[in-house]
Amino acid sequence: MIRFWEKRFTNRILTENLEFDKELKSIQKELKSLIAKKFAKSLSIRMVDCGSCNACESECNALSNPYYNLDRLGISFVASPRHADILLVSGVNTFNMNHHLIDAYAQMPSPKYVITIGDCTKLEDSVFDKNFAIVGDIDKKIPVDYHIQGCPPTPDEIIRGLLDFLTNFTH
Amino acid sequence: MDRLIARFVQYNDDKLELVDVFENSVEKKSIKDNTIESISKRYPTARWFERKIKDDFGVKIDKAYDNRVLVHHERFPHVNPMKKEFDIKEELKEVDFIPYRYEVVGGDGVFNVSVGPIHAGIIEPGHFHFSQAGEQILHLEVRHFYKYRGIEKMCENKSLKEIEKIVARISGNESVAYQIALLNIKQNIDKNHKLQNAILLELERLVHHFTDIGFIPNDGGFAAALTMGSKYAEDTKRLLEILSGSRFGFDSVFKALHVERKKQEIEEYVSLMSKEMEWFEDWIVDIPSLWDRLDTTGIITQKEALNYGCVGVVARCCGIKRDVRDNEFYKNYGYEMAQEKSGDVAARFKIRLFEIKNSLLMIKNMLKDLKSFEVENGTTCKDGEYSSFVESSIGELYMYIKVKDGLVERFYVRDPSFINWQGLHLMMPRDIIADFPLINKSCDLSYAGSDL
Repeated sequence: MIRFWEKRFTNRILTENLEFDKELKSIQKELKSLIAKKFAKSLSIRMVDCGSCNACESECNALSNPYYNLDRLGISFVASPRHADILLVSGVNTFNMNHHLIDAYAQMPSPKYVITIGDCTKLEDSVFDKNFAIVGDIDKKIPVDYHIQGCPPTPDEIIRGLLDFLTNFTH
Repeated sequence: MDRLIARFVQYNDDKLELVDVFENSVEKKSIKDNTIESISKRYPTARWFERKIKDDFGVKIDKAYDNRVLVHHERFPHVNPMKKEFDIKEELKEVDFIPYRYEVVGGDGVFNVSVGPIHAGIIEPGHFHFSQAGEQILHLEVRHFYKYRGIEKMCENKSLKEIEKIVARISGNESVAYQIALLNIKQNIDKNHKLQNAILLELERLVHHFTDIGFIPNDGGFAAALTMGSKYAEDTKRLLEILSGSRFGFDSVFKALHVERKKQEIEEYVSLMSKEMEWFEDWIVDIPSLWDRLDTTGIITQKEALNYGCVGVVARCCGIKRDVRDNEFYKNYGYEMAQEKSGDVAARFKIRLFEIKNSLLMIKNMLKDLKSFEVENGTTCKDGEYSSFVESSIGELYMYIKVKDGLVERFYVRDPSFINWQGLHLMMPRDIIADFPLINKSCDLSYAGSDL
């Protein structure tokens, strides 16, 4: 174990985007009060993949690596839609997942929000066309509040998207 | 026994034709009376292939012991989408819920645990059905195809150029491998182009393995390794972005990326990562409580793996020498096959550690030979049938394309996960249900790739 602590001291803090952090600091107060008021000081996200290529999931996993460390903003990914404030949806919405997506949304306690992530969730931006196995139209199945674009969006874009959503789209 | 690689159906003019791809031969038979004979008793993995054929084409499977649906779930109407007369744009209506009969073990006190399709983490949807005697797993059935996007049908009647972007996004963590498989079919490749792609493929493998050497200990309760593993994976993704413009190498394989101009960045990365890996290995092998979890967990024996024809890391962890990269091209750049005998999670973990070091070495050697090149646009592909094999980060990827009048008539992909998912249940019976995440992560299979 001593080797690990040695490594920690030599590696120092890897979390980056200092410029971004300054920006963050200025809105942090507002954000904190927002999260405190709306989400009892912590924002919980539940991710549901309904037909992506798994790159979006990979990028969401990357959010918790030492470079981005999303937990420092009080935002965390949770294990059940029943624990979640935000449903993060990726993928084209396949025929086989459509029903489960609607189910997951119904399980969430109010107030609840839906964010779609990745170009696939809007079929007109995606390389996939609507067909028999792809239902699409996520915004018609459940109320979508915000969209983060990119194929896949980088972790940086996801964080910026989340902050933009929190400051401008929650009410 | 000849290994079964794929079994699928295609159109030969207007008649259906069954294609069996074995390791040493390809057999084609025309289908009579809309019925084919099952070989699932001899080749266990033929089961999913046959059930998929049944769903896709409505072909009856004679002598099959498993006649359930595979791709078409409870609410899926009775259509056969791969048939020529089926219009891809047709909008399907949900039908009444028909319950799926799971494989369950009966008996006093035996109960079932259903997991999924939505899991308690940031992962893809899939269903796992356990038969349990207390904590002990008696049987596991893997049920997938929640992400079925109809990609095989989607690629039909398009030119090879048009399907490039779709193929790159079949499975994000194997994107480079998929693109290389298509490129091999599409056109003749310059030696330097091949080298460039080999470097990208090894980088993709590194991203995958780095993520896994973090997640496997994490699922065993040792989170510190995840911090390190995810850092290495992020560094690798960033290098991929510098080289190809995409963190996953999307749409990068078909063009000249001028990787040779970024030699310095790659060399720095390789030397840094080699040092880091030295440290990581030295550190991780010395944590007894972690190896207590990894050793003897999730064992697959060589006999079972041979019987199921497992590929990739799952094959190599129990002493099977199976790797598409086992050829002169790769050996010239220092390729060595990773081999373990014990077949447990620890073996798969060690294979990943070995392959990381080997990939770093190969990238270093390939970089020395890489020279600038230009890519001629367009395809040299004439009408006919083509297959391609690539060792993706999971295992052997098989792609088959039949071209007619310059357009794709049949597109078929067998992801390595398609085989290995079927072998997953073999690793369960000696373990308890709490070991499942660990075992599953040690194989790290793709859902999107096998669901298509």
